[in-house]
Formats: sequence, structure tokens, C-alpha cells
Amino acid sequence: MAEDRIATSDYWRRLLRLDEDGEEDALGKFRYPHRFLRPLFRVFFFFLCRFYFRLKVKGRENLPKKHPYIVAPNHCSAMDYPLVAFAMGPASRDLYVLATKFFYDFPLARFFMKIAANVQRIDIVDDFLPGLRVAAKILRKGKSIYINPEGTRSESGNLLPFRPGVGMLAAELNVPVVPVYIHGALEALPAGAPFPRPGNIEVNFGKPLLMDDYLPKLRSGNAYYVYREISEELKNRVQQLKNNY
Amino acid sequence: MSSLEDDIRALVSKIIKIPEDKIAPDANLFYDLGVDSLLGVEILASLDKKYGLDVPEEKLRSISTLNDITALTRELLEKKKG
Repeated sequence: MAEDRIATSDYWRRLLRLDEDGEEDALGKFRYPHRFLRPLFRVFFFFLCRFYFRLKVKGRENLPKKHPYIVAPNHCSAMDYPLVAFAMGPASRDLYVLATKFFYDFPLARFFMKIAANVQRIDIVDDFLPGLRVAAKILRKGKSIYINPEGTRSESGNLLPFRPGVGMLAAELNVPVVPVYIHGALEALPAGAPFPRPGNIEVNFGKPLLMDDYLPKLRSGNAYYVYREISEELKNRVQQLKNNY
Repeated sequence: MSSLEDDIRALVSKIIKIPEDKIAPDANLFYDLGVDSLLGVEILASLDKKYGLDVPEEKLRSISTLNDITALTRELLEKKKG
């Protein structure tokens, strides 16, 4: 096994620049003027969730009492983030999200995203390391991160493989990951649909996955496989939440 | 004596856990063979370990096939020599 250890945890920490002093104002990029419209958006979204989607929230008590943590839901629709943020309640004020360029590069989508969320653009396909570094900086500042571990929307509703980046952030920053299953969003807003349909949506928070069992493995094994093990366990937990429907 | 291509193929095969004969030189590692981005970094780290190459991080974007990795290794080895 030792021979297989190529990129150790230390190597990944260097790549993420975790041992360097953090930027003084890592969150400054998220303080754009759009955020002043956020209370208005919340009122609008409250009515949308209450009467149009008849949103139910389960397991909110599973959210850790303190930030930072990672919120990791399944991904079926373009409104997954606002649904989860709404379901989190006041805890979502310290929640940050990194949006793929696919959405962020549409000016209208970007405008609304900035109103709805603490959001920055990342390029997970061609240049994923800067995105992981931004996420690491946010977590180091004591804020939480929303990540879709599948990386892209599932068109069938079945879970896609969870990518190991979420495991890396959780393990190297030693933060819990909250598995989340969103039920009904695919039917309400499938890929390609211009507007959401009314429906019954549920957001179900599972118990957080803690890193205690994984940290010793990071020191003795190949870090990549530990990251992957975490991501796979996370997927199992989201799948268990999904199996209730 | 094995060629650089063979060495790289063996190295990549060991990392991505796919038999050497299943890795075509021009197959896209990420799209055809399902390699994720972190394993791409593992491949660069392994070049560093095996050949003592300091592979610039931005090169990650330019390696998607076995041929790319071999060409990059050759280029960096020549730079190192010269």
C-alpha cells in the first residue's frame, strides 16, 4: 500500500494552500450589492415554497449547531440551491455556494443567483483546483459550503457517482458533511424546462458525516482513496434518504 | 528496455486501476475511462515521484490522453537535461 501512496495528504494540502495564511478578506468577493435585495427574494421564495411547491422540511435538527460544515444534496434541478437554503432557515446566512460557469455565465441567471446566494463562479471541468481553494478558504473562515457532489444534474433522478473533491475538503478541513435529499424538484423543474411546475417538494437533512474515523486513515493510507471513501459513504447516506420515498 | 510510452502506460494503469491493454494512447482519460480530476493530479504527482519532474499545475488542463502525458513527460525531461 505504501508504494501506492503518491499524492499524500500533505501534497493535497499544499495544492489547496491550506498551510498558508488565509487571505485577509476571503469573503470580500461575495459582498456584492445584489445582496441587499436578498430579503425581498426570501419573501418571494417563502410564498413560492409554501403555496406553489408545498415544501416540507425534514431533519433540520441534524444541521450542526455551528458552522463550518458542508451541505451536500443530490442534484436534479436548477433550483436545488434555493430550496436547500430556504429549508435550512437562518443557518443559510452563512452558507456559500460555487456555481459552475454553465449557469454563472448567463447574465440573467448570474443576476438572480447573486440576489439569492453568496455565490462565486468556478470551472470544475477545466480548472477545478481554484474552485476547491476558494471552498477551502470559505470553510477556514468559519462559513459553510453548499456542494453538489454529483457535479452535474441527474436527468433520471438516480444518484450519479459522487466526486471525491467533497471528501477531500471535508477530510482536510475536518468539517462534517450533511447529506441532503431533495424530493420532487426533478418533477417540478427538469432540465430544459423554462419555468417550474407546481408540486410537492421535500428537503430531507440526514445526520452529518463526521471525519473522526477518516483522519487516522489519511495519515496511513493513500489520501485519494480516503477522499473517495468519504464521498461514497456520503452517497450511501443520500441514497438511504432517497429510499424513504 | 522499455520505452517511455510503456513506462507511462504502466504508471497510469497502476494509478487509475485499469489494465494497461485497455488504455488506448488517444483515449480520453476523463471522458472515455472515467478518471476524475483528482486522479489526474495523482498522475502528475507520480511523474514528479518517478522522474523528479516538477510538473506545473496548469499542465493538468493539457493532459487528457496517454499520448499527452507521454509528450509532456518527454518535454519536461528534455528541459531538465538541458
